[in-house]
Amino acid sequence: MLPKGKLPVVVIACQVLEEMLDRLLPEHGRSVSQVTFMDYGLHRVPSKMAGTLQEALGKVEEPSLIVLGYGLCGNGLMGLKAGKHTLLVPRTDDCIALLLGSYKAYRHEFATVPGTYYLSKGWLEAGSHPLSEYEEYLPKYGPKEAMWIMDMQYQNYERLMLVTHTPADLVEYRPAAQQVARFCERWEMRYEERVGSDAYVRQLVEAAMALSQGEELSQAARRDFIVIPPGSEIHQDQFIR
Amino acid sequence: MSDILEQVSTAIIEGDLDEIVDLTEDALDEDLGAEEILNGGLMAGMDYVGVEFKAGNMFVPEVLRSARAMKMSMEILNPLLVESGVQMMGKVLLGTVKGDLHDIGKNLVGMMCEGAGFTVKDLGKDITPEEFVEAVKEFGPDVLGMSALLTTTMRTMESTIKVLEEAGVRDKVKVMIGGAPVTQAFADQIGADGYASNAASAAELAKQLVSQA
Repeated sequence: MLPKGKLPVVVIACQVLEEMLDRLLPEHGRSVSQVTFMDYGLHRVPSKMAGTLQEALGKVEEPSLIVLGYGLCGNGLMGLKAGKHTLLVPRTDDCIALLLGSYKAYRHEFATVPGTYYLSKGWLEAGSHPLSEYEEYLPKYGPKEAMWIMDMQYQNYERLMLVTHTPADLVEYRPAAQQVARFCERWEMRYEERVGSDAYVRQLVEAAMALSQGEELSQAARRDFIVIPPGSEIHQDQFIR
Repeated sequence: MSDILEQVSTAIIEGDLDEIVDLTEDALDEDLGAEEILNGGLMAGMDYVGVEFKAGNMFVPEVLRSARAMKMSMEILNPLLVESGVQMMGKVLLGTVKGDLHDIGKNLVGMMCEGAGFTVKDLGKDITPEEFVEAVKEFGPDVLGMSALLTTTMRTMESTIKVLEEAGVRDKVKVMIGGAPVTQAFADQIGADGYASNAASAAELAKQLVSQA
């Protein structure tokens, strides 16, 4: 059962959504009581994600509607307990759907070329991409060995895709993305660009506002979002569409 | 453990290519049997790598290097093992299901299984149920490992198991599954024999499944 009445809204999200949420949340003024952005690197060790997020949840004192700006993230969210809070989570495997603008858009891209490596403004700024990975291995292993490690991981990828939310960002981040693309040419990965949309994240914020006011989610919203009532926890099967 | 086996094991853990071939030959020169070197040196090293990887103390590059060192040593030992009629662990067939590419994890599973003494055949990515059936018939694996990266493609594992049943080969192999969104509950639900959350556990699971057969 969802709690009756109004709940304060708290956002706990991955840094990759920071720019979008920073822009979208103020539209709802004071209704959001707290926003925390978590480190990009959290998804690299999914087994430690739930623990770290549980800790962040534990710091929220008042029973709240907690918006989680995450996907299932390699089962990283599995086992996260709502406790006294209500949780709202996008029903998606990972953040790519949130960057592209919808789950459908992600499915389309995945079905077209499953072996796609995605780049976003956030990932480029955080240095999370194959080129920076190579540069990280270089001093430790030397050029030949570092490249072998890269080959072993990426040789079957086919496409590198830069996803931004505005055409202006595309222009701004293109040089950095193309630098990564040139590096990835050794695996014959082709470079593509998409102007994604903030629609999915916008719907997330709207769903949060509705729930916090004690309103029900629309049928469409129930397809795209998971609501975890107090006392329950997140399971993997909730993410299966 | 003898000094030389300890050195072999350390070279595996460190992924030391310069040393591993010489050390393997040194061990043979000391009259150690190929099986003894495999168990006491190579597998001892890979077991350690598996534990440290699972614990998050070793990472993908290190595991790749260890697995490659293992492979180089095995190239020397394999003919001797075959000659002396040593029973290998068995055969593992791997593949990522249709519509999916889950390469890094699956490749590591292959390497860790080789490290555990299995003969491994990797079909690669985007494998249709029919291709799996064909490969099971041809290769005759003890264990079939399937992986998927997304909740959407994960379901193809279920249909692949159904096609294996229809083709009458399901009871010839143990099926293990893995990949980012996969869970034990899902494995149970679709009638797989096991699930592993990482490459080291997958090799362990393969050993367990073979001993059950």
